[in-house]
Amino acid sequence: MYRIRMHGRGGQGMKTASRILGTAFFLEGFEVQDAPRYGAERRGAPMFAYVRADRKTIYERGIIVHPDLVVVSDDSLIAMATAGVLTGLTAETPLLICSNREASFYHERYDLKCQVIVFRLPPTTSSRSPRSSSCAGAAAALLGMISPHNLNQAVAQELHTLPSNLLKENQQAARTVFDKLQDFKGIVQRRAKMEIGRPQWLDLPLEVASIAAPIIHAPASSLQMNTGVWRTLRPTIDLEECIACGQCNTYCPDGAISLNTEGKPTIDYDHCKGCLICLAQCPAQAITAQPEQEEVS
Amino acid sequence: MSRTLLTGNGAAAWGARLAQIEYLPAFPITPQTEIIETISAWIDRGDMACRMVTMDSEHSMITAAGAAAATGVRTFTATSSQGLLYGMEMLYAVAGWRVPLVLVNVSRALAAPVTLEPDHNDVLAARDSGFLQIHCATCQEVVDTMLLAYRLSEDKRVRLPVIVNLDGYYLSFTREPVELPTLDIASRFLPAPTIRTDQIQASQPTSQGIAVLGGSQYSYFRYEQHLAALASLSVYEELGREYGELTGRFYSALELYQSEDADTVFVMIGSFATKAKEAVDRLREIDLKVGLVRLCLVRPFPAAELAAALAGKKGVAVIDQNLSMGQGGILFHELTSVLYNRPDRPRVITSYVGGLGGRDISLEDFRGIAEETAQAAKNGHAPPPRLLYTAAELTQMRGLQEIAKTQKNSRGHTL
Amino acid sequence: MSPLNKNTPPLGQHHLLAGGTPACAGCGGLENIKIIYDILGPKTIFVNAAGCMTLLSVYPFTPFPGSWLYTSMASAPAGAQGVRDALDILLAKKRIPADEDLQVVVLTGDGAAGGMGLSATSGAMDRNLDFIYLCYDNEGYGNTGYQFSAATPHGAKTTTSIMGNPGYKKDLFAIWAAHRPAYVATICGAEPHDLARKVAKLKNIKGPKMLIALAPCPTNWHFEPSATIQIGKLAVQSGHWPLKEYENGRVTHTKIPKPSDERPQVEEYLCRQGRFSHLFTPQRNETVLAEIQAKVDRYWQEVNDHYAG
Repeated sequence: MYRIRMHGRGGQGMKTASRILGTAFFLEGFEVQDAPRYGAERRGAPMFAYVRADRKTIYERGIIVHPDLVVVSDDSLIAMATAGVLTGLTAETPLLICSNREASFYHERYDLKCQVIVFRLPPTTSSRSPRSSSCAGAAAALLGMISPHNLNQAVAQELHTLPSNLLKENQQAARTVFDKLQDFKGIVQRRAKMEIGRPQWLDLPLEVASIAAPIIHAPASSLQMNTGVWRTLRPTIDLEECIACGQCNTYCPDGAISLNTEGKPTIDYDHCKGCLICLAQCPAQAITAQPEQEEVS
Repeated sequence: MSRTLLTGNGAAAWGARLAQIEYLPAFPITPQTEIIETISAWIDRGDMACRMVTMDSEHSMITAAGAAAATGVRTFTATSSQGLLYGMEMLYAVAGWRVPLVLVNVSRALAAPVTLEPDHNDVLAARDSGFLQIHCATCQEVVDTMLLAYRLSEDKRVRLPVIVNLDGYYLSFTREPVELPTLDIASRFLPAPTIRTDQIQASQPTSQGIAVLGGSQYSYFRYEQHLAALASLSVYEELGREYGELTGRFYSALELYQSEDADTVFVMIGSFATKAKEAVDRLREIDLKVGLVRLCLVRPFPAAELAAALAGKKGVAVIDQNLSMGQGGILFHELTSVLYNRPDRPRVITSYVGGLGGRDISLEDFRGIAEETAQAAKNGHAPPPRLLYTAAELTQMRGLQEIAKTQKNSRGHTL
Repeated sequence: MSPLNKNTPPLGQHHLLAGGTPACAGCGGLENIKIIYDILGPKTIFVNAAGCMTLLSVYPFTPFPGSWLYTSMASAPAGAQGVRDALDILLAKKRIPADEDLQVVVLTGDGAAGGMGLSATSGAMDRNLDFIYLCYDNEGYGNTGYQFSAATPHGAKTTTSIMGNPGYKKDLFAIWAAHRPAYVATICGAEPHDLARKVAKLKNIKGPKMLIALAPCPTNWHFEPSATIQIGKLAVQSGHWPLKEYENGRVTHTKIPKPSDERPQVEEYLCRQGRFSHLFTPQRNETVLAEIQAKVDRYWQEVNDHYAG
């Protein structure tokens, strides 16, 4: 069996990527399982999808804990523990990243033992980048048993609602990435069967209702959730240009902008989701945005 | 204490009054309505300090009750049948909030077909909701159980809502002598409500009824509810003794009647169990050594107590006033499942479904059950489950079907 | 543009509603709630109906420094009744002092408000419950991926109306006003002055106080999250979302759009949202666009006639 886990952000098309890959496997005659997994979080929040493919009936279900291949559509997710990109990764698991950087960058930064392969999104004429198709094409290349024809067919099946020009662009993107990664064809290893350990069960003790009921006593505990990691674009306020009108503060849905006594704003980057309402509303045009991955520290 | 004639509904209302309830969200439904009418009149006459509000549905009613209980007032509500099912979503929710609340259900069989008379499919539909269930057999028990139910629900070791069940018609509209505890006695057992440390108020903000993500957290919260429900069994026994010492009326998870030396034991819940007592007395006159074990608690299920009471019996007959379509009587399956692993389990356990929609269970029925079960114990194998239904009933049904079955429609076609 | 913090009810410098919620980036509903919460203050309990905002609190994280109770989709107003009545009982019996009292606020989406929650809502108004009812109206079942609800406008594409909603938006304002509650208003977070004035006013009114907040939804209306406020402003300026209030039997419009030949046409509002894209491409659906515009124009004509008369 092949087990592939694909990480992205809500709205980046990783569910579609997993379906393209699943369909491509299916067209190759494999038994297939594909599924997305979301939490409560929405657009911009980390999510993942997964694909299983085998020549025989698949009995496994649910989240893939021990992947044979991990695909990441957004490199800012790697550092994010809650995104779980590195969960179950071994030295034998290739990590495939959609990025403009070199693979060595990730080896150094995250002290990775596994093989890291990077690929770039092909240029596009439309505003919608062919991210899902590219990620599927890249994964297909590394897996090695999916033909360009069936990859093409899979993109067509999964994106059949797109206008024909966009569909074509996606098909081309999948193929471009697929071709570029042919040096890595077939590097994905099927994992040897793992020994079955024993569960460390315990007898759950009876506890008082005040803690054993789904009640939160701590006020405003959501501040511990770092929703700043959802951000792909980072707004920055030029305080010289700022006219202290307070509109960014009023309109920010997440309450992530506060004002000092002079009425000048500060952004709480731990909770700014990067919606950029502040930028759109700033009458002095004192707010600009930069791509977030450039700012990873 | 004074002895007076009360209906089951009157007894439930008195129980609520003696429990000094402060809040009653209500919605009328037969055969429960008399309870809220009675309390409403007491409030209007100034006999009772309680706020009653008529809601738009039972779903709203149970929501309001749970929310008020979470906010810290002693809350009561009551319904029947379709109403209990209409509010079913909120039974699960309120139990999950872990708030103290008592709900009286006056059992009435479920539609379709619509009927007003009782069986237990309504209350057993709430079996897995997290509400504890106490089933009453007499009007006296209804009053007493109301007080026990509040103590049980409010107990820190439990903190689960409780359904007090009484059968429609056979208790709800039936008057019996009831010994009413004085308010003094009642409040010695169940003191007037006071400030609760966990109630919702400005200085102690809480977020309740929260969503969880992931099966582990969900498992924890749900299993804690189960553990609390299990723990409530010994708390109930403790309270039953304490109440007995105050009033002379002791309560326990099981009621045993002539069961100790019996060869054949009837197992039942609710008011029809008193009919079984009558049957036990009469059948012993004709040398059938029978007895009765009645479950007063259905949730928690008194498994160990039942196993002990039925240990070594030749035959046990479970009489279910409910029907799980495609499976059979619910109590039969619950009972057999807890006895299966016991070496001292009864030789045979037979299953009878009777009393559906208020259908009577006659002395003849009890005799048939006793004899068939005794015979099965002798043979060593139980007969298939049986519906208590006579040839005369089917003959009558055939007559009705003749009337219902119009021979021809208006166009002259035979149907 | 004048600064927002002058001559208006308090629009907080720091906000009560904490960040870190799972709401989508650019959520118009959350923006409404944030401003309203600042004005109401922390002595508030939100009684929530199933909808997008159910997930504001996910164990063990809550954005509320005050209280919150999740009930069900249909019965949040009944939950509000239980809390309000219980507080009144506790206050009357002096089990809690007056400063422990809470403002009770139902938080519900349009799906629950216009559908299964309507019975409980009607009941609460009928009983003259002293509460605030806040419906964040994103015009569809947003939390389940945007199926059409009773509040979905005519022509909008949802996942269960891919050719455009054949129905028309249910007029909750009128339905509520027919109950003669203490106060009804429409609001929009893109018009915070109007919103703040209304919320500050209803704080001092006893009885049912009903709010419908237009909640532009980037995820399901299909526009960039940064455009939430612009979309909201266009909804108001084009006359598509009338800002009004009902009090003492009278309806007053609190922001009258410019005359029909001067105000933005409705299609300027519609064309910025993917849910209406089928009305513009591959070719314009003049019939539906004209119908929507005519309905808006007729509405404001009637308003003008009413004021003139």
